[in-house]
Amino acid sequence: MSLYAFLGTLEIGFIYGLVAMGVYLTFRILDFPDLTVDGSFTLGAAMTATLIVFGYNPYLATLLGTFAAAFSGIVTAWLNLRFNILHLLASILTMTALYTINLRVMGKPNIALIMEPTMLTPFEALGIPAMYMKVIFVAVCAVIGGLLVAWFLNTQYGLAMRAVGSNKRMAQANGIVVNQKVYVGLALSNGLVGLGGALFAQTNGFADSTMGIGTIVVGLAAVIIGESLFATRSILVIVMSCIVGSILYRVAVSMALNADFLGFQASDLNLLTAVLVALALVFPKLRREWKAKKAKGERA
Amino acid sequence: MIRCDNLHVTFNHGLPTEKLALRGVDLTIPSGEFVTVIGSNGAGKSTLLNTIAGDIDSTRGKIWFADRDVTNLPATARTKDIARVFQDPLAGTCGNLTVEENMALAYGRGKRGSLSFALNDTLRKIFKEQLSRLNLGLEDRLSAEMGLLSGGQRQSVSLLMSALQPSSILLLDEHTAALDPKTAALIMDISSQIIEEKQLTVMMVTHSMRQALDHGSRTIMLHEGKIIFDLSGDQRAGYEVKDLLQLFAQARNDGEELDDDKLLLGE
Repeated sequence: MSLYAFLGTLEIGFIYGLVAMGVYLTFRILDFPDLTVDGSFTLGAAMTATLIVFGYNPYLATLLGTFAAAFSGIVTAWLNLRFNILHLLASILTMTALYTINLRVMGKPNIALIMEPTMLTPFEALGIPAMYMKVIFVAVCAVIGGLLVAWFLNTQYGLAMRAVGSNKRMAQANGIVVNQKVYVGLALSNGLVGLGGALFAQTNGFADSTMGIGTIVVGLAAVIIGESLFATRSILVIVMSCIVGSILYRVAVSMALNADFLGFQASDLNLLTAVLVALALVFPKLRREWKAKKAKGERA
Repeated sequence: MIRCDNLHVTFNHGLPTEKLALRGVDLTIPSGEFVTVIGSNGAGKSTLLNTIAGDIDSTRGKIWFADRDVTNLPATARTKDIARVFQDPLAGTCGNLTVEENMALAYGRGKRGSLSFALNDTLRKIFKEQLSRLNLGLEDRLSAEMGLLSGGQRQSVSLLMSALQPSSILLLDEHTAALDPKTAALIMDISSQIIEEKQLTVMMVTHSMRQALDHGSRTIMLHEGKIIFDLSGDQRAGYEVKDLLQLFAQARNDGEELDDDKLLLGE
């Protein structure tokens, strides 16, 4: 892998680290499998790109894109909590609706940002080569994001949110307003994912209506890889392991795609990802079964 | 003080499966009184507790805490006054949070969750002190995952958690039923200590007649959603387990006859 390709891998890894944290908040903290992210990633990108083209300050544009994505999470939570629509289905509905909304926001299937100012523009004056600058920038964003998420989860409010995901009845008996925590959690999660989309659009120079496909699977892959690497109870380590998992996932995928003898093409990415995530999900169960079998054999 | 006025609860209203779980419960429990609640399965004991806690909405009637009407107050708002321990040891704690995190949650009961850290050294010291009362060695396992503890240990921690925040009412729903006899005795012991210490108003549902008579100062029996007798004072002191069992058998076998007995017992 060339240095250039490696830096590109790192850059995407850090960006999807933010996405992974969002997925961690829903899947692991709230126990609410949320597929909205496939749409909210694109929404963050689309909104930000459109506003930048309209001449908005890139930082303001990114903030608004993040808020829009966060709001889509609230819609999913509302469908689930107010109308008792199954969480998975509620999120699929929002995701489907977002596809149209994203096209409407952009007014066309994609927007190029090549010649537009981005969040990185102010740093160009530092004289660091662009390919390094981008990686440093997204790394700082991901780490700050991680620190904030870890801090939040260790506050009284964050702990209450974890209790809601773990045991609703206990949470309620301790005076925690369950629904409110779900709304806030989904908003935070989709906000992080939308921020990831906004950064992706600005570092890669485009927003596209199909860019969000598979976001949930990639985010989940990063979460699971991170979890299997660090067996810990520390929230900070778990959240940061989302970033590490995301980078390792990208490295693994780009190595597989670059290994000529395997004969993969770039278009095989989604199949590779799905297989990888399936393996990561199946492995812990298989390992338990093997161990049980072995223990049985020894006793006999 | 808890007061229930003509409390009715109907499940599946208007459907073939309609169930009248509570059919006009009138009950006044003065502050600091410890009431044990008995009755056969489906008599409405848990429904009564859950309705007082706010998990179940009453169909008719009113609930008062002291002189406040709480009938329309949601369960979370009632937690300022009510602490609870459930029958299932897994229900009262979060298995994938640590012991100290669980206790921190209980410590914040009835307060708004703020954005300050949930745990600090002062709190850990309080939790340690509380846990050492159990003599289970849990004071050294503050950062252990709750799910790693045994059912008895988890129930003991639930009990301590219910007393971490001042409350006036404690609802115990068969909280020793899922435990082995030795642990059950320990839990009952600590319950009594806490109740005495904090001068709580208590309702304890139990299936053990012995427990119902040995603890508290008043015993009520529910049958088909109504209170069919209410024992206290000298009358209760004279009752033995076999007397209760007899009433139980009557209630179960012959509703008709029981209605007569109810008149005889004189409410």
